[in-house]
Amino acid sequence: MNASAPIPRPPKPLLTVTGLTKHFALKGGLFGQSRGVVRAVDDISFEVGEGETLGIVGESGCGKSTTARLLVDLISPDSGDIQLGGKLVGSELPIRELRRQVQMVFQDSYASLNPRLTMEDAISFGPMVNGMARNAAVRLAHDLLARVGLEPRRFAGRYPHELSGGQRQRVNIARALAFSPKVVVLDEAVSALDKSVEAQVLNLLTDLKAELGLTYVFISHDLNVVRYMSDRVMVMYLGQVAEVGPVDAIYGAPAHPYSRALLAAMPSMDPDRRTMEAPLAGDPPNPINPPPGCRFHTRCRFADAVCSMSDPGLYTMGTPGHLAACHLHIPASGHKAAELAA
Amino acid sequence: MSAPLVEIEDLKVRFHGARTVHAVNGVSFRLDAGETLGILGESGSGKSVTLKTLLRLLPENRTEIGGRVRVDGVDILALKGKALADHRGGTASMIFQDPMLALDPVYTIGDQIAEAVMRHEGASAAEGRARALDMLTRVRIPSPERRLNAYPHEMSGGMRQRAMIALALACRPKLLLADEPTTALDATVQIQILLLLRELQREFGMGMIFVTHDIGVATEVSDRIAVMYAGEIVETGTVRDLIRDPRHPYTKGLLAANLHGAVKGSRLQAIPGAPPALEEPPRACSFAPRCPVKVSGCDTQRPPAITPGAGRMVRCVLAEAALQPG
Amino acid sequence: MSAAALDSLATIEKSPGYWSGVMRRFRRDPVAMLALAIILGLVLMAIFAPWIAPNDPYRGQMLRRLRPMGTPGFPLGTDELGRDMLTRLIYGARLSLLMGVTPVIIAFFIGSAIGIAAGYVGGWLNTVLMRTVDVFFAFPSVLLAIALSGALGAGIFNGLLSLTIVFVPPIARIAESVTTAVRKIEYVEAARASGASSFTIVRVHVLGNVIGPIFVYATGLISVSLILASGLSFLGLGVKPPEPEWGLMLNTLRNAIYVQPWVAALPGAMIFITSISFNLLSDGLRSAMDLKA
Repeated sequence: MNASAPIPRPPKPLLTVTGLTKHFALKGGLFGQSRGVVRAVDDISFEVGEGETLGIVGESGCGKSTTARLLVDLISPDSGDIQLGGKLVGSELPIRELRRQVQMVFQDSYASLNPRLTMEDAISFGPMVNGMARNAAVRLAHDLLARVGLEPRRFAGRYPHELSGGQRQRVNIARALAFSPKVVVLDEAVSALDKSVEAQVLNLLTDLKAELGLTYVFISHDLNVVRYMSDRVMVMYLGQVAEVGPVDAIYGAPAHPYSRALLAAMPSMDPDRRTMEAPLAGDPPNPINPPPGCRFHTRCRFADAVCSMSDPGLYTMGTPGHLAACHLHIPASGHKAAELAA
Repeated sequence: MSAPLVEIEDLKVRFHGARTVHAVNGVSFRLDAGETLGILGESGSGKSVTLKTLLRLLPENRTEIGGRVRVDGVDILALKGKALADHRGGTASMIFQDPMLALDPVYTIGDQIAEAVMRHEGASAAEGRARALDMLTRVRIPSPERRLNAYPHEMSGGMRQRAMIALALACRPKLLLADEPTTALDATVQIQILLLLRELQREFGMGMIFVTHDIGVATEVSDRIAVMYAGEIVETGTVRDLIRDPRHPYTKGLLAANLHGAVKGSRLQAIPGAPPALEEPPRACSFAPRCPVKVSGCDTQRPPAITPGAGRMVRCVLAEAALQPG
Repeated sequence: MSAAALDSLATIEKSPGYWSGVMRRFRRDPVAMLALAIILGLVLMAIFAPWIAPNDPYRGQMLRRLRPMGTPGFPLGTDELGRDMLTRLIYGARLSLLMGVTPVIIAFFIGSAIGIAAGYVGGWLNTVLMRTVDVFFAFPSVLLAIALSGALGAGIFNGLLSLTIVFVPPIARIAESVTTAVRKIEYVEAARASGASSFTIVRVHVLGNVIGPIFVYATGLISVSLILASGLSFLGLGVKPPEPEWGLMLNTLRNAIYVQPWVAALPGAMIFITSISFNLLSDGLRSAMDLKA
């Protein structure tokens, strides 16, 4: 941590998400009747400050990818608001403008690129669709290729299958930047890359952020990468926010039992201090018909009667901006351990 | 010193097809009974190919295998017919990243384990069934009696992984080959499976070769680690030696790229470039084009295998220089 | 705008495009090249029939009916009306290819349009279009072709029309499934995130990636169409006598099977060679288009 930096300057919120909800109906049977609801994202609220990186972590089914798709309007929310720069998306800010200002990079670098288009065409497609002349768009594409470390002369005329995974992901980043976006959502963008290549792309992302003043939403299952990249971290579990706060608070003093378990589940890098006990038993439950109350109570070793009855909601911890949704930390919540603490 | 469980000498594997790929280029290692070797490498490093050679799982008609491979004193490359079938699943058995590769979707878990036991050990149906129940209990599947009659698709991801391990270990193999078995799993499930494998390996006293791209995972399960790059082992040693005192520049780069303890805001020491395509057999150090400490000669000669200590090997000229003071 | 980027415009290294790669791989496939050569030969034969054919396809002589192969002046013998078999087989390529290829070409455009629309838009449009297509699937293609031709009446145009109707559903089905698969791939999502209209996305990102597989499938249908067209003519529902068409020739020579079996089998052999050539061509295209091969 850079010691000279002023401690948490609350950045001006650029992206504000309020009560965002997306449920998917499970259709089945002969007439497509509903067989249940996947509560992929269930009433989540968070902010992303201008120029900061918000890391989102969680296991499969926690809703992090759905959140990403909601942010760039690839799917529309059932309810909830997204504000960008203080303007409500949909009414004060047209969807088209949101799509321009919030761009996304996907995990699968190969599937993200049309196999029939050269890199130059892939990057210039977006600007041309938005009214840029072909020559200008191609020049922009060459500039962006150079900016992400791919020599335009060598790469502009290439097809996706001729590039390595790392190079393709650089092109995907260049394509996202073609709109001069304010926010880039990186959905497991480096997860499929080999470790040695991943580091190159992370360095690139850091450079671009500094040069262009970008704001990142960085989604990953790799806690080491999230720690390195993020200013603040949000831990999701079964479609809800379990904990959110500054990166040092989350990694140094995780409040939610799930965050602690997630951190404890990281393989040890010390051969003399290997993990001796798994922090959690069983698999993450299915987001179809999640348990009532606190969704984590079925796997939580601190669970008490109150946990299965009421949803704790986010509650402010010691550090400013550090919130956790756990009855343990809410005085007078009815949780035995909480009463004792109080 | 007793005979090793696995002995590989100068293994070379090349695939013929539209283009020739030199996947493994002179790999040698030994594994003692009851020992765990982690093979660490990135995609295309030849780690999975090496593992599959031990079960002869590579497509016969377009694969050329050279060198010596012995498991429990048996020459694996010479196995045929029944002897090969007895080796697969009997002496040695394998678990995969995707359990659906190992489990048959149309039979229950119990039937599959019982069938394997009956085939390899000539046991009766009742004995097979009893072993299946025992195995499901050992891999800590909750309510194992009920799970005997479950089909693979009825289980969750972590449960399927446990069922696959039960099947692989049902015939008490002397050698377990693990090909990234936890890569597709969620973090909290991955650690459960790693701990389970560690326990079962001790319990059954088997040798285990664990292939992974994740240093943390290798550290959790291995006694020794072999780092592979471009079809060669570039460094081997005990977990402690390798993690605390990596000698090969590639190993150092991998450790740095793991980001464990990377300081936010500092620049990552990324290894530049990408691994070679392996259309030619290596004539020099394969890592030289990406190496930050390359010296003259790295581009033209194959680096020697240096032994800086007991049980260690580094394939790098700088390691040689370090050994010779002055 | 940087000067470097401007410079690079002139000296860009262009990769060979996808289709040139397909052509390169296709040219290396000896079986597919042979099939293509046979088909080209048949097409040339059809076009230049009047110049190649030694005799008049319509004029026969009762005195020289059903001569065997190798008869002087009639190398492939004569048919039941004493017409030159070689001449009629050469002329037959015209109608047979027309009847075999045209319905598939028309159905390729109609079926692709239906399938791509259903696949990309999805939802209710998909349901309406694909369930309608399914109705046609309920009938075996031979029966459907016979029923339609029977209802419309015999003749070349009605034969073409009924065969076209037969081939629209299978092509639409393939087009729909390929498009549905492509629509879910991330590059289409990325294009949507860029704010492009559906029409632009289909034109730039979907069409190029689905047309290949549909085309391959359609080439495979040509052999079916040839056989169905011949079948219609055989049943008297397609081309009418005395026009030379292989299926019709097979029909009229049917009674001669005991007298001159080899001569009677000739139109069948032509149908067989043509349809298998189209099948092999389709297989060759399929493997040439596979990027991972």
